[in-house]
Amino acid sequence: MALLEIENLHVGVEDEDIRILNGVDLTLDTGALHAIMGPNGSGKSTLASVLAGREEYEVLEGSIRYDGEDLLELEPEERAEAGVFLAFQYPVELPGVSMTNFLKEAVNSVREARGQEELSSTEFLQQMRERADMLGLDADLTKRSVNEGFSGGEKKRNEIFQLAMLEPRLAILDETDSGLDIDALQSVANGVNKLRDGSRGFLVITHYERILQYIVPDRIHVMMDGQIARSGDKDLAETLEEHGYEWIREEVAAAA
Amino acid sequence: MSTSETQYLEGKASEDYKHGFYTDIDAETAPDGLTEDVVRYIAHRKDEPEWLLEWRLKAFRHARDRIDGGETIDWAHLDYEAPKFDEISYFSAPKETASYDSIDEVPDEILETFERLGIPLEEQKALTGVAVDAVMDSVSVATTFKEKLKEKGVIFKSFGEAAKEHPEIVREYMGTVVPYTDNLYAAINSAVFSDGSFVYVPEGVTCPMELSTYFRINEAGTGQFERTLIVAEPGAYVSYLEGCTAPMRKENQLHAAVVELVAHEDAEIKYSTIQNWYPGDPDTGEGGVYNLVTKRGLCKGDNSKISWTQLETGSAVTQKYPSVILAGDDSVGEFYSVAFTKGHQQADTGTKMQHIGKNTKSTIISKGISADVADNSYRGQVKVSKNADNARNFSQCDSMLLGPDCGAHTYPYIESNNPSAQIEHEATTSKVGEDQMFYCHQRGLGEEEALKLIVNGFCQEVLQELPMEFAVEAKELLDIELEGSVG
Amino acid sequence: MTTTLDTDVRPEDRFISAFEVNHGQALNGTNASIAQQREDAIERFAQLGIPTNDLEAWKYTNIAKTIDRPYTLPLAPEGPSLDPSDVAPFTIDEMDAHRVVLVNGRVDASLSDIGDLPSGVVLSSLAQAGEEHPSLVEEHYGQYADFENEALTALNTAFVQDGAFVYVPSGTVVEKPIFFLHVTAGPESLFLQPRHLFVVEDGAIAKIVETQHSLTDAQTFTNTVSEAFVGERANLKHYLVQDEGPHASQVHTRAGQQKDDSVYSTNTITFSGDVVRNNATVEVNGSFCESNLYGLCIGKGEMHVDNHTQMNHVQPDCNSNELYKHVLNDESTAVFNGKVLVTRGSQRIDAYQQNDTIVLTTDANIYTKPELEIYADDVVCSHGATTGQVDEEGVFYLRSRGLSERRAHILMLQAFTDEVLSEYKIAPLRSYITDKIRRRFGSYFE
Repeated sequence: MALLEIENLHVGVEDEDIRILNGVDLTLDTGALHAIMGPNGSGKSTLASVLAGREEYEVLEGSIRYDGEDLLELEPEERAEAGVFLAFQYPVELPGVSMTNFLKEAVNSVREARGQEELSSTEFLQQMRERADMLGLDADLTKRSVNEGFSGGEKKRNEIFQLAMLEPRLAILDETDSGLDIDALQSVANGVNKLRDGSRGFLVITHYERILQYIVPDRIHVMMDGQIARSGDKDLAETLEEHGYEWIREEVAAAA
Repeated sequence: MSTSETQYLEGKASEDYKHGFYTDIDAETAPDGLTEDVVRYIAHRKDEPEWLLEWRLKAFRHARDRIDGGETIDWAHLDYEAPKFDEISYFSAPKETASYDSIDEVPDEILETFERLGIPLEEQKALTGVAVDAVMDSVSVATTFKEKLKEKGVIFKSFGEAAKEHPEIVREYMGTVVPYTDNLYAAINSAVFSDGSFVYVPEGVTCPMELSTYFRINEAGTGQFERTLIVAEPGAYVSYLEGCTAPMRKENQLHAAVVELVAHEDAEIKYSTIQNWYPGDPDTGEGGVYNLVTKRGLCKGDNSKISWTQLETGSAVTQKYPSVILAGDDSVGEFYSVAFTKGHQQADTGTKMQHIGKNTKSTIISKGISADVADNSYRGQVKVSKNADNARNFSQCDSMLLGPDCGAHTYPYIESNNPSAQIEHEATTSKVGEDQMFYCHQRGLGEEEALKLIVNGFCQEVLQELPMEFAVEAKELLDIELEGSVG
Repeated sequence: MTTTLDTDVRPEDRFISAFEVNHGQALNGTNASIAQQREDAIERFAQLGIPTNDLEAWKYTNIAKTIDRPYTLPLAPEGPSLDPSDVAPFTIDEMDAHRVVLVNGRVDASLSDIGDLPSGVVLSSLAQAGEEHPSLVEEHYGQYADFENEALTALNTAFVQDGAFVYVPSGTVVEKPIFFLHVTAGPESLFLQPRHLFVVEDGAIAKIVETQHSLTDAQTFTNTVSEAFVGERANLKHYLVQDEGPHASQVHTRAGQQKDDSVYSTNTITFSGDVVRNNATVEVNGSFCESNLYGLCIGKGEMHVDNHTQMNHVQPDCNSNELYKHVLNDESTAVFNGKVLVTRGSQRIDAYQQNDTIVLTTDANIYTKPELEIYADDVVCSHGATTGQVDEEGVFYLRSRGLSERRAHILMLQAFTDEVLSEYKIAPLRSYITDKIRRRFGSYFE
């Protein structure tokens, strides 16, 4: 059974007559890493938001099954508890909320839902240190308030750190590479590769082929106008880098 | 959780109960109304020295004139019926009769709250008004505690005792920071104050422990017109904790305390308050406490420092402005406040920082949280006198609104008469961001958990100023307050 | 005809008896709705009394003391006759405008130069408008300024005789600024009470410029009330330049009302005066509105300037910006008391308020009280206030680039005021003001 099955997904904006996704089909197996590429406004980030359960989007048609269950039935926190993790494109600042407190609450909520024991403070702190070391993250980051005053790169690395802490089964990275310099990009990719241990599935949403040199995808999907216009193996990324997206649009138009 | 917090919690569990001072006075009540006879009666009952009676009487005449003159306090953003001063009983000796005969009779939800706050059983009994014999058992603990202070020369007594045993110190300082002419409630307090605390820390002494008023709360009736005086001699340091996180039963609706702090050269006084008195019926607001308090500190000596930290979650009406007069050069005043109002609660609170000495500094951090139909106002004054060269002030006042029917207001007064002053004031009002909530949800936190986390974060700058043993309880208290406030 | 106020009695009674003597005579002959409101207003004035320092809104300005001086009430239309050369220094000739000169609160046609107005636009004296456009006046007069709670508005309403009137009909654009040049003249200590009404209907666009000057050394007091109506999708910019010299006191009350999708901007600069109190109230009675309140006070001598603003958000989805700055020299005093009110249900309000002050001397004083009163939860409201000196780091930087200390200070002060001046969208007016400010700052460092 696939980890994630999206069928004929149509999505609009709540209360407005706007359609963003027009029939997306996508299947992801546990252990696989798929990249979703596409030009601005093609619906990539909307797909990520719908998977995480943002309320401003309305599913008009189609289904999303996660682990065989109807994902759309779940509240955002229930999805997180079930193992869906979204690395935000714009991580939110939570002034005064310490990373340690925040993560402890989050980790224990998720553990509780999975029927695991709560971690004691000592265990938790130890795990935090280990994961930070694994990702080469400055331990100071965990002493600060969540994302407050973080640089763009720090925020993105912090998302990967949270991914490592929460151990999800489905990780969605929403343009985690955008705005990063090459060092931060390598660091993020490095983290993802370490967490790519066969026990979870990844959806890596990106605008650029660059990150896919470091994180080699099993499959690449190109989204255009709210649909997956083409899928292929990792070589597709290079073709896109060379020729842009227009040729796909032309092909699709020709086929239609 | 930081290591120090963990250590604290472990320590807390093994901690002994630290209550003491139980003054036994026969239960009796003075006749209603503010009269000279009542004042004389109180002084007589307390067997007070003549000079103190004289002082009370002067305050009485002043209070009487103001009441007869029809004085009202209508500038605050509060809507409540002014107390009828001639229908109040100004002295009620502590009652021996308990509200409950045993702890089993205390309603479960109150006991649950105590449990969560980690309040020991003995204190629970005292706070709920269970017959208090058990509390007396802890006298031995209090004795060791008192001896430790005695070694250092620190005087920590009830105000009444101090007036008899250390009249020279009490007379020198009482009424010098908050004169009885200051405001109507200070005048009434000065005339009829019941009792309170007195602290004196001698030159160069760092008080060896946090001083707490915990152990006198068993006297349900005396809290009405409390009077506290703290004097720190040159180079002394003291941290004083007032109140507690437990929901307090109060018999009197009007609570008008006076607190005076005096810090000499290089001395520092840290005064922390948690106030969680009965807020009244959540649906109607009826029956809650009116908390109308005058608190002021005087940084008398150069390089002295006074710091107020408060967490106000209780009372139907709260009106208090813990202030600092920065008279000494290089002196420092601080005010850190969290005020949480819900139901029908109203709070008009803030501070006054009066810069008089040179190179004086003040910091104001105020966080107001409002839910249901509550009204929460910050009112603060920063005043820089003509000769207060190089005064510095920074004020940050943030309001958070939980729900569409509450109010949050900010009224800062900035008065500068010196060109070298640098004053900065910032204020914001907003609700909890939807994107913040979603971020927390995505990490597996439910509505209430997320809200607690964000509100606690919002208050963090203030809560971290509380002494450790208060801070943990304070966080827990905020969590409890937030339950059911999710809009 | 003038009435000298009897100083032996309480100031309130001086006005009340002057009203009794003159009503039905000097105090009529205008529009019916104006006459109607007089009686209610004097009664309300008698009840409210002249505000004292005990009132929170008047805490820092002792207006009662300023009013308690031997003034004369001019109640007859004939004012001093001025020669064009008398007002020539104030005409800002570079600004191509529809110019109306008011002497002691009354329009002087001989000094005015109205020029061609777009069709339907009315630019006249209030008295004339009351006769020629009674229904327009009736619809708007006394609807926005609150005489129930403001004693001085009540006083003005009781004694109102004349002032400026502007009407811009629906969809009409007045390209050139409408310029009211106010001059006080004559040997007497006058107590003047001009009344202005500006109506900018749906979709109309206009710019109004007012400047105030004085040609007399006598102690005068001007109690102005000015009402503005800004219709749906309309845009009104209203600039006021106060420079009446050290003997003129005034209370200038401005009340604006906005409808859906409108933009209303006011900007007040005070260069001189004795005791000056400006009340600016904006009632945003529509959604998707923008309101801007800007002000600048360049304090000198013993002048006392009190800017009191009230931004009332009573409808959702609006934004407002408020910025007041002071530069205080000599023994001048500035007060800023701004209030942003967001009423229950007025969601999605974005309100910003800032007051910054530079204090140059030990004898100057600043009292600032920015307030937020919020009853809706989905809002972003903030305010800030700073007081301090010229940034010496900046001065040092400029000096290290070769500027003299004097130049560096002037430049830093100008930079400080620029944020307010950048709101002056009329170039000749802006350069007129910038020039005045530069000269003023230059004089500080001589």
